[in-house]
Amino acid sequence: MLLHIALMGNPNTGKTTIFNALTGMNQHVGNWPGKTVEKKEGVFTHNGRKIRLVDLPGTYSLSAFSPEEAIARNYLLDSDLEAVVVVLDAANLERNLFLAAQVQELGVPTLFVLNMMDAAAEREIKIDTAVLSRHLNAPIVTTIARKGEGIDALKTAVVTIAAKKSAEQSILPLELNYGSEIENGIDELCTQMDRFPAILERYPARWLAVNLLEQDEMLQQQVLKMEGGSALLTIVQLTDNRLQTAVGEDVEIAIADNRYKWIHKLVEETVDRPQIDMLTRSDKIDRIVTNRWAGIPIFMLLMWAVFKLTADVSAPYLDWIGGVLAGPVTHWIISLLTAVGADGTWIESLFVDGIIAGVGGVLVFVPVLVFLYLALAILENSGYMARAAFVMDSAMHRIGLHGKSFLPLLVGFGCTVPAIYATRTLENEKDRILTGLLVPFMSCGARLPVYVLFAAIFFPDQGGAVVFGLYLLGILTAVLLALLLRKTSYFAGEANAFVMELPPYRMPAIKGLWLHTWVRIRSFLESAWTIILASSIVIWLLASVPMGGKGTFADVAMEDSAFAAVSGVIAPAFEPLGFGSWQASSALVSGFIAKEVVVSTMAQVYNVEGDAEAAEFPPFIEDVTFIFSSFAEATVDTARAIPLIVGIDLSSEDDEPEPTDLILAVRQNFEETSGGRGSLAALAFMVFVLIYTPCMVAIAAEKHELGVRWMWVSVIGQLLLAWVFAFIVFQGGKVLIGF
Amino acid sequence: MTFSPLPAANKRILPLSMVSIGQKVRLQQITGGKRLTHHLVEMGLTPGVELTVIQKSGPLLIAVRDSRIAIGRGIACKMQVCR
Ligand SMILES: Nc1nc2c(ncn2[C@@H]2O[C@H](COP(=O)(O)OP(=O)(O)OP(=O)(O)O)[C@@H](O)[C@H]2O)c(=O)[nH]1
Ligand SMILES: [Mg+2]
Repeated sequence: MLLHIALMGNPNTGKTTIFNALTGMNQHVGNWPGKTVEKKEGVFTHNGRKIRLVDLPGTYSLSAFSPEEAIARNYLLDSDLEAVVVVLDAANLERNLFLAAQVQELGVPTLFVLNMMDAAAEREIKIDTAVLSRHLNAPIVTTIARKGEGIDALKTAVVTIAAKKSAEQSILPLELNYGSEIENGIDELCTQMDRFPAILERYPARWLAVNLLEQDEMLQQQVLKMEGGSALLTIVQLTDNRLQTAVGEDVEIAIADNRYKWIHKLVEETVDRPQIDMLTRSDKIDRIVTNRWAGIPIFMLLMWAVFKLTADVSAPYLDWIGGVLAGPVTHWIISLLTAVGADGTWIESLFVDGIIAGVGGVLVFVPVLVFLYLALAILENSGYMARAAFVMDSAMHRIGLHGKSFLPLLVGFGCTVPAIYATRTLENEKDRILTGLLVPFMSCGARLPVYVLFAAIFFPDQGGAVVFGLYLLGILTAVLLALLLRKTSYFAGEANAFVMELPPYRMPAIKGLWLHTWVRIRSFLESAWTIILASSIVIWLLASVPMGGKGTFADVAMEDSAFAAVSGVIAPAFEPLGFGSWQASSALVSGFIAKEVVVSTMAQVYNVEGDAEAAEFPPFIEDVTFIFSSFAEATVDTARAIPLIVGIDLSSEDDEPEPTDLILAVRQNFEETSGGRGSLAALAFMVFVLIYTPCMVAIAAEKHELGVRWMWVSVIGQLLLAWVFAFIVFQGGKVLIGF
Repeated sequence: MTFSPLPAANKRILPLSMVSIGQKVRLQQITGGKRLTHHLVEMGLTPGVELTVIQKSGPLLIAVRDSRIAIGRGIACKMQVCR
């Protein structure tokens, strides 16, 4: 039998780390509250028992405040769980026990995990787990999830508690004393509830009384739907009014306050800690990093370092992969095909012009993305990300958003899809939608290769500036859009209040950073094998079908192919933007599926007749040596490039790379369609790529998070904006330069 | 919500936003919206709890019960504290 267990706890207590350790999966972990916004499932087996484990989003209490908190709470109430595992941060026990107490009041079989025992030890916090366990009436396991300590014991404990429930052991709910007035009210409500058997069948009486007095909106709605629900709510309302006068404050606050009082006593009894309240190491760092004057410059500096790291440091590896694909890999495939007698046929064309040109053209950019994702992982796992939100709060306020909107926007520089999901940490729906509309303008990792390619072709000397300028343009567009949208009646008003927990700074674990980077790279590679491979083959097919009677299958000039004919239909729309060729259009159309495909399409459509067959290949061993020696060279170059981040140039000579066929072809094509203003057209093209729809998956994410209506607003708005911006760049540039 | 013992004459009540960095204060009352107030209380900002202001720059960074919470200027104005 599959035993069903859920992981709950405050945000950032290590639930996902524990989930990964138990199930061997690799879900996203990071040091900021609210990473997990959707429940994730996994399965593990221990002592012959199979456990279905669900990782829930973090929540501070059972009365949900934001949508991701609602997921956690509804899951606990509505699903048929064998037991719940509540993860507590041992270094922040008092606040964590609030949720723990609420769960125990509900009376579900519970196992407590005291995680982060290392952080507690560092602050000399000692916890008497035996006494704590007795008071909470549930077993406790201690762990250091990040190091994998205590995970085996946890597995055993999970299996034990889950099996216990199936043996139908009854669990006594925890009863806290809320003070005589409130207790009287609760007693009275419990007596009244006897009149509503249908409701009592679903909820325990005391729990229902306490939670209705706590003004739990979701519970109210559920009760309202049941027989006698509205009568019960009226009774609760009357009691609530009476109690409010008696206790002199809002009843829900008095209840929460009393719960904390109970917790405070419990903590005094079970936790031994040095009394001096000193500033922690994190506080000392925060004195500088979040300082009113230093905060923004530090943030800018870090962003610049990230940018340089991705652009400069990865460049040598980029050349290396390009060299390996064009050299050894192509040689080997052709040799293999020759060996089976398929050389010179359409099969060779499929491999060389289709697959290598397409998939290879994209693989080249893996190093750039490795560095980008690594930099973002460091920001996330160190805890800086949350500080960035703090530092940017004031600035974000000026555009009608608040600090928390900043997190999704920052994540958007990596990938738009998780960024759109991350908007869920915003409690207010309007803030959420507004942020979701802005996220796509943060230039994601997949758009970078397009800029890098075009900058290399048209702006070899100011490449860095051009790419940086595009990122800035995206940000600026988002800012202006935010200001504009806040003026519309729908979004009118202030951003919701900014409340966010800042986690302590943590040294990012190397393994964690690598996993984090690898998971994203893997999903990029997966799309390389699926979407990009598929589209490469489709494009190759279209490009191989002759149109207008010239050529034969797989032996037709590109411009006479079906692909040229199809793309040519929409090309006129781009004429005023300076890139009205069927080649450019086809790249943009395929870019609608995924930005990764833009470069691969270009590599295919501009594929200049290579005469690979005629060439004599170097011997196999020479190819292999080439792979390794050029990798070593790239590493040396990278090491040289790192000081570049701080502005020191160590590279001895400036070796201009040989312009490849692709570069020449693209340059010629853009010069033609723009009437000799190739660079301007290229700039317009890059702007278009920056602004229009990031990818199909992002559209799906928008639909899921913002709803169909806003998805369409987003898609159509982006297309229009992209066209207008590119138009302004090209036509405006023409006027400015004065051609 | 109020904290039971009446503030002595020397215990001036002021909004949290007026407290300077490094000062330790006691939370008296939150006068914001009901839902938000409830949320803050659940995060440990109960009446009578001690707070230390760690940083102020637009929003405030406060230490409460071993956690560090960033609080926007707007809410900080609605949190009454006393020394
Ligand atoms: N020092 C220490 N850090 C830990 C431990 N367990 C997890 N962490 C770190 O705590 C941070 C948060 O971990 P997550 O697993 O993402 O936390 P979560 O509870 O899933 O967070 P949400 O999904 O936001 O609710 C990460 O930086 C982890 O590396 C631990 O035992 N000790
Ligand atoms: Mg998580």
